[in-house]
This record gives sequence, C-alpha cells and structure tokens, in this order.
Amino acid sequence: MRRLRLASLPMYIAVGISAIYVLLPLLSAGEFSLRQPATHDYGFKHYIWFLELPDFAHYLLLSLGLALGAAAILLILLVPTAIWLNLGGQKLRGLVEFLTLLPLVIPVVALAIGAQTSLPEFAQTNEFILSFMYAILAMPYAYRTLDTGLKAVPLKTITEAARGLGASWIRTIIQVVTPIVRGTVLSALFMTLALSLGEFTLTSLLHWDTFTTWVTTMSQGNILGAIALSVFSLVSVFVLLMLIGLFVKPASNQLSTEEN
Amino acid sequence: MSKSEATHLDRKGTPAWGALTGRLLGLFLGIAPLLVFMSVFFFWPLWNVLWTSFLGNEGEFTLGNYVLVFQEPYLSAFKNSIGLGLISAVTSSIPGAILAYLIESRGSERLRRLIASVSSVLANTGGIPLAFMFIAAFGMEGSATMFLKLLGWNIYAGDFTLFSFTGIVFVYTYFQIPMMVIVFSPAIHGIRNEWQEAARNLGATRFQFWRNVGLPLIFPSFIAAFLLLFASAFSAFATARAMSSGTIALVPLMIGNLVDGNVIVDSFNLGKALAMGMVIVSALAMIPYLIIQRRAARWQS
Repeated sequence: MRRLRLASLPMYIAVGISAIYVLLPLLSAGEFSLRQPATHDYGFKHYIWFLELPDFAHYLLLSLGLALGAAAILLILLVPTAIWLNLGGQKLRGLVEFLTLLPLVIPVVALAIGAQTSLPEFAQTNEFILSFMYAILAMPYAYRTLDTGLKAVPLKTITEAARGLGASWIRTIIQVVTPIVRGTVLSALFMTLALSLGEFTLTSLLHWDTFTTWVTTMSQGNILGAIALSVFSLVSVFVLLMLIGLFVKPASNQLSTEEN
Repeated sequence: MSKSEATHLDRKGTPAWGALTGRLLGLFLGIAPLLVFMSVFFFWPLWNVLWTSFLGNEGEFTLGNYVLVFQEPYLSAFKNSIGLGLISAVTSSIPGAILAYLIESRGSERLRRLIASVSSVLANTGGIPLAFMFIAAFGMEGSATMFLKLLGWNIYAGDFTLFSFTGIVFVYTYFQIPMMVIVFSPAIHGIRNEWQEAARNLGATRFQFWRNVGLPLIFPSFIAAFLLLFASAFSAFATARAMSSGTIALVPLMIGNLVDGNVIVDSFNLGKALAMGMVIVSALAMIPYLIIQRRAARWQS
C-alpha cells in the first residue's frame, strides 16, 4: 500500500498544479465580478444587472435550444450508423470514419465563409440553421465517442444471442441494444452540448446572436458586468455537463471488455 | 481473421433475402442520411468557397485572389498564424502529455473519468469568457499578478502583456492542454500492463521497456496530437478576436473582418482565397494526424 501511494505522488502533484491552473483564472474572475467599486465592498450587483436584462433569458434559452437541436440531429444521424457498422457493415467503416472526421480538417472560419454565401434563403433566415452547423462541427467528436463506446461492447454477439433466443429485430433493438448503448450515447450528447454551447466563430460570422455572442456584445459597455456574465456562463456550462456526466456512468461499464 | 469468419458464418446462417434487405436497410439508415446531411451543410458550402475563390469581381475566372494571398499583409498573417499554431502546440503538448501519462498510469478509474469530463469542458472554452478570466487573473490588476508581485515577481516588469503573441499563446494553453489530455490519453491507456509484465519477465528493465517498446508505440500518437493542437491554434478565432483586437495580424481574424465588412478590399472574393489557404495549411497537418490515428487505433482498442 505504501509503495503504491509513493508511486502516485507525482500524479497528485500534477493534478494539484492543474487544478490550481484551472481554478485560478476562474476564481480571480469570480472575485472581480463581486467587486462594487462605487461602495468599495463586495456584492452581487453585477449579477443582478445581467439577470435583469430583458435579453438574458431569451439568449440563454436560445443557446440551450440550439445545442439540444444539434445533439438531436447528430444522434439521429449517427447512432443508427454506428450501431449498423458495429453489427456488420464493416466494409463501409473506413468511409464513414473518413467522412465524420472531415470537419476536423476544415477550419471553422472557412466553413463559415462558405455557409454564409451558399446556404439557401430559408436556411439563412432561420436561426435553427445553427443547430445543423453545430452538428457538423461536433460530428468528429460525437462519432468517435459513439464508435469507441460501441467497439468496447460485444454488440454483435449479444444481438445474435437475442435473435437466437427468438427476439424480433425490433425487440432486440429496444430491449437489448438500447440499454447497452445508453451510456455511450450520453457521452456523445455531452460532447455535442459542450461544443455547441460555447460556439462563437460560426455564429458570429453568420451574423446570428446566441448567448455567447450576446455576452461579447454586452461586454463592451460594462466590464465588471461582463466578467460576471463570463463567470456565469462558464460555471453554468460546467454544472450542466457535470450533471449529465453523472448519468453517463452506469450502463456503459457493465459490459465493457476492458479491465478497469 | 476472426471477424471475417464470423460474418461468413452469419451469411450462411441467415436466408439470402434477409441478408439482402438487411444490407439495403443498413445502407438506407446507416449511410445515406449522413451523406445527404454532409453534402448540404458541409460539402456544398466548401465547394462554394473553392470555386468563388477563383472568381474576380465580374464573375470571371482569375488567380488574382491567390496572388494577393502571397502579398502583404496576408503573407505575414499566414506566417503569424502558422507560428502561433506551432508555438502553441509545443507549449501545450508537452505538459498535456505528462499529465495524461500520470493520470492514465496511476489515476483511479474515478479520477480518470473526472479529468476526462473536465477536460472536454475546458477544451471548449474560449472567446470573451476565457479572455476575461485571464484578464482577471493575469491582467495588469489581476489577482495572480498581484500575488506574484508580493512574492517578488513582477510579470509586467518586461514588455509582457496578455494581448501580445506570448499572451495569446499563454491563454491558449487553457484549452489546448485539456485537448492534449483528451487526444493523448487513449494512446497511453493502450500500453497494456501485460506488455510491461511480459517485458519484465523477459528480463527488460523499466527503462528498456520504455525505450524499446513504450515510446516507439506512443511517439506517433504524440505527433498526431501535436498536429491536432497545431491545427486548433492555427484556426482558433473566438479567443484570438477577444484577445488581440486587431493588434496581431492573424488569418482567421482577417477573414472575419472581411466577412463582417469591417474591412473593404478591392476584390470581393479575397476572403475565400484566404479561407482556402487556411484549408490547405490545416489539411497538411490534419491528414497525417488522421493517418497516424487510424494506424494507432489498431493496437489501442
């Protein structure tokens, strides 16, 4: 036991330094955001300021909606593909991997300039176009997460067993495949939400306003208020994703073939 | 080998019509929607960038936009962006790799999970919130700056500012190191304990194992992750925009200014040629990345 702990010491030091490095800017910003220069004390004035802005709730809900939209689009597109590939469509695996990784190769700015000039009129006038574009940006991460998660499970053997015992395809998918892939699907959802909620480049270059671009606009008038907004947006994304993270844990591990 | 055997058995076992409908259904549900979706929202916009980059103001074919790319100020912007990408990749890949190694080799399952989810949040931070956090901590009046001053180190004694090239590289580490941890951890995870044990049983020392087996295995993955970090910093837009406010010429910012109409240039399609230039630089880094990742995936899973 003692030897183990000593071997882990460098790790704890590294994790400690990382934690300080991650928290320091966040805590400093938190401290700044509570300053009230007029009265020389601390308080929630700047938080109340942005909470009372009429646009605050609007843009927050819009960003959440767009992120959920992107996640829904990606999961509908990719989950059947990933399951199918892991059940036997091996020949096309290379093609799908190549396609889904392509958005990683193209700088977002380049995609934005193309989307700005080429998307059809109806797409340019509806902000839900952003969900589709976010889905493109998150695709490499989401697909990789799904594929790695599914590879770790002997999906083919399990479905064959279910089929062999007389379950219909539909029943196999609902009662056998779905519970197995739930954890993996949630991880992919997590990646997509994290990316979409913070997306700025495409949004601003396509001249839409979401929560991220709104924060940027608001930051020009009130610096301490903007710091408060920044802290709020970072902390809330953190909390939201940690909450999802809690649910990611269960199902995926039971059937994992990896040893710990 | 065993995989092809399994499909072979499977084919024998199911009636032909079942296999056929299954395959059609697979094609229909599995890949067709993906192709359609990507064509509309990915390939079509990019195809547009490509062909309009060869068009002049009157819609005539020209290479003029690309000639401009190789002139000032665009040439220096490309140099700056590539330099930023390289330096950021160096400063983030090394600490990221060390952190990934320590966590993967010694961390508990729970810690690894925690680091993984924290990293994927941090890798997505950027823009104004990130800029403000760093200003609050390391700005002229920042808490960390004040604290370091108390310890006798004035980081502003030289000509350092957060809004310089060095400052941007420093801010980028906040999302680049977590990105490195995410990308590099699977490679370290793939070094099986059994291999270490096998090497030890054959009489190898720990050092010999790493020199002859471990490092050669993970080195390609390190290069791949390095290239990814390069591409990420090279094309980052939101943070660069929040931090530099036009003081440093970077290609993404120039394209952004052209798109927003902040800057008017004589040729309308210059922005597209600049964008194609970015695609080429990024592809030069990302294609080797994808190839290495694919080869590494064979032993990592």
